[in-house]
Amino acid sequence: MNDPELEELFGDPADRAVVDLLKASRPAAPPLDPHFHNYLRTKLMTEARRTLPARPSRSWLPFRLSPKTMAPAMAAVAAGFLVVLGVEIYLHGQTRAPEIAQANIGAINNKMDVGTGEPIVIPFTGPVDKTAVAESVVIQPATSVTKQWVGQNLVIIPAHPLAPNTTYSVTFKPTATAKPSATPTPAPQQTPATRQTPPVVAAPVVVHFTTVRPPVTPIVPPSFKSTSVAYGYDNRLADAGTILGAAWTPGGQLLVTRPVGQLGPGSPSPSASATPSGPPAPKATTDVWLMSSLGTPVRLLVPGGSLPAASPSGRVVAAWQTAAGNQVNLGVWDLQGGPQANLVTIGGIPDQAPIWIGEDRIAYVDQGRLHIVDLHGTEASPAMRVGGHGHLAASPVAALLAVEAAQGPVVLDLGAGGSTALPAGATGFAWSSKGDLAFVASHSASTDLYVAADGKSYRKVASSPVDQTWSDVNWSPDAASLLLATTATTANGTAPGLVLVNRDGSNPTPFGPASKEFASPQWSPSGDLVLFTRKDEAAGGRAFWTASATPSTTDSAANQALAEVAKFMLARINGDNIAAQAELDDAGVAAYKAGASSLLGPAGGHFSRYYPVTVQPSGSKPNAFLVGVRIFSAKNGVENSFFEEQLTVVLQGQRYLIDAVNASPAMMLGHGPTVVSVEVVQTPPGEQVRVRFDSDLKPETVSRDTIQVKDGDGKVVDAHLSFDPENHLATLAVKLRPGTYKLVITTGVTDINDVALAQEYDAPVVISP
Amino acid sequence: MPDGFEERDLVERAKQDPEAFGALYDRYFPQIYRFAYSRVRDQSLAEDVTSEVFFKALRNIKRYTYSGHPFSSWLYQITLNAVADHYRGLHGEVDLEEGASLPSTAPAVVDEVVRRDRSRRVWAAIDQLPRQQRAAMVLKFSEDRKIEEIAQILGKSSGAVKLLLHRAVERLRRELPPEFEIGVT
Repeated sequence: MNDPELEELFGDPADRAVVDLLKASRPAAPPLDPHFHNYLRTKLMTEARRTLPARPSRSWLPFRLSPKTMAPAMAAVAAGFLVVLGVEIYLHGQTRAPEIAQANIGAINNKMDVGTGEPIVIPFTGPVDKTAVAESVVIQPATSVTKQWVGQNLVIIPAHPLAPNTTYSVTFKPTATAKPSATPTPAPQQTPATRQTPPVVAAPVVVHFTTVRPPVTPIVPPSFKSTSVAYGYDNRLADAGTILGAAWTPGGQLLVTRPVGQLGPGSPSPSASATPSGPPAPKATTDVWLMSSLGTPVRLLVPGGSLPAASPSGRVVAAWQTAAGNQVNLGVWDLQGGPQANLVTIGGIPDQAPIWIGEDRIAYVDQGRLHIVDLHGTEASPAMRVGGHGHLAASPVAALLAVEAAQGPVVLDLGAGGSTALPAGATGFAWSSKGDLAFVASHSASTDLYVAADGKSYRKVASSPVDQTWSDVNWSPDAASLLLATTATTANGTAPGLVLVNRDGSNPTPFGPASKEFASPQWSPSGDLVLFTRKDEAAGGRAFWTASATPSTTDSAANQALAEVAKFMLARINGDNIAAQAELDDAGVAAYKAGASSLLGPAGGHFSRYYPVTVQPSGSKPNAFLVGVRIFSAKNGVENSFFEEQLTVVLQGQRYLIDAVNASPAMMLGHGPTVVSVEVVQTPPGEQVRVRFDSDLKPETVSRDTIQVKDGDGKVVDAHLSFDPENHLATLAVKLRPGTYKLVITTGVTDINDVALAQEYDAPVVISP
Repeated sequence: MPDGFEERDLVERAKQDPEAFGALYDRYFPQIYRFAYSRVRDQSLAEDVTSEVFFKALRNIKRYTYSGHPFSSWLYQITLNAVADHYRGLHGEVDLEEGASLPSTAPAVVDEVVRRDRSRRVWAAIDQLPRQQRAAMVLKFSEDRKIEEIAQILGKSSGAVKLLLHRAVERLRRELPPEFEIGVT
């Protein structure tokens, strides 16, 4: 139920069932004339300007945005899927005073929960110099973007997902708007002379938004056991028939196959007009798009493509693409839609997506034979005949490939050679992130579920009820449970739906409200969402939906500590000295009084927001945690700096209290890249220290000279450094003995604009015995 | 939820600054329109009510004082009054206490029940609840308001709101179609 008020109010389980149903449902969005919002706003603003005191000067935006007051406003609004920023542009070069030429109203501005995978859409109306406006866009922190106009909407598409917990600013620089538009639309009452003068903005426009706050990585990972996972809120990605297939990327976005001609950034689809030399290509009927988990099309990846599959790293995508002469190509594209390789050409589109085997081989079935090719298109193994549906699945951790072969289902060991036979009828192969294989084998009236922990030694763990079959096997992220689609084999059978089963076959539990509509579940890589199809009774087709899947956590001690820190921080942000001190023990009070850190903010300013960065066990004290928090300070409503505190939170009696504090120096915002999070992950026999930045960085500046772990004596620890520029993520692989270390990031790290870290960044790294 | 500091600052600025008022409008338009529609079930009427709410807010914002509740609570109150005013205009004084009957939208809703999916059917059932119950249910389950806030919006005590919610859920249990199979899971 996740609402203490409702839990208190509805103790009767039958009432709770209704309440859960209501919480899992949302009323349909009311019909809304798309022009009504703008129409009403225009009327209101006219009235407001007449009745409210005039301001000395007006900015572009429908709120105060002079440089001194560009507050990254803390408005957390209901989750939307586009950042729509209202912009007012003033025309200059006219004979009368500047006036508003375009007034498009953003439904959402200064959002606090912008998804990291969402494009930024800025609607304009009226004449603007599109080229100049697009060229004038500057985004901070430094972010590689592409910009496209879709009608009067400027769509800014980040090349990579944005950083979480980060306030971004989008600036339109007025100096760049001097180019005349290729086809300017004259405004009414313009003279020929003024018509030649392009719209020029009066002052820089800066708008802000803040990305979502992801949960702090728990010390004890949550369990996805069948009885621990709750079906949360669901969301239809698009109307039935507008998405034909969908699959997750490792980064948590979606690869979708859409009918040609669907709207999105960059549409209309170029596939409609793409005509290579030689025989005419058949008219493409589908395209492959990258889509956010909320259903926002991000970009067209493969014109004329279908059945995409992301590589295990998520860096590239393989898909089928229509070609000349009724043939199809198996190709590889990057996530910007750039073609990387064309591997093979075959006579018709297969009925399943290509299967990645590691990062360098792809398996597919053509005309009843299994083929494995490398990324040059070279056949890597002799073709093998397949049977059944020719279903394939590759292990993510070993060179193992499960195949419905003609002689019977097998697991091929592509490394050591050889094969392992699976039970007759085995199909629906699914590999967990840990290398477990699951599959089903159906009989006349039911289905058996098998699990092979090492990918080979299988055992039957469960059977479906009679008159019911199981299919579409899907592992939970932690491999604790399996999600299956259920189908009745007789008219009297149980209604189709989804069911969760533990990996040992125990506790089959329905997932989602009782329904006749659910099928084809796919768990997102992080486990927070489940993708599935659902029958649309109104339109008669099947639509793709996602539902949040919330696992319970066993990390109650750390959660208690975090809850006390949350109360402490809220009191500080509210300026409530008494409530803040109530979260401190005597040593904590003494620490703040001694000036270890400021309890209520800097002189003349206040704390505006915070977020927890890390939580880790304290190395020296039992029942104690070290919680790192990042705290933002503001003056006159303007967020201008942040610093970090390391809070030692200790269990005292029944309650955690803050016992000690260490604070970093304040760092100014908007002055180069900053560290968003530091995470220490156990990866036996060593550890990984993962450092995430907010900016696109110059990869050559991320090195062992600029990112280091030092021991208690200040000596640099041996480490292997890797850098994932797309996720702004530097990973140090280290082997540390129990103790306290220091992570150091120097000012040698620079963003893509050559702006360096404003100050050296230090953070403690604690390794518990 | 909007940050309290920031919202208060924005509201204070909106008392003098048209652009700040515009920002408030942008922020709260979706939920006020949605709430208005949930009360009147007519697009044109919902537009009228929404328009009236924001013009009233503009006219009276200088008198608004922060009372510990979100600014949206005030807008919800104006919405309820605007809806009541509308029906008074149509039908004379209308008792807005629980159980009062208004022009029924039942035929359309029944059509919806037949055609639409499960979620819509549940909400269609909520549409059939008495007005105060419906308002409390919409504010709680669609707008995610706290009980104390709902109480302030409806001008009732928290206990009365709890009673409204309880009665509404009990009634839904009785009236939802059998295929919903609501039971203990």
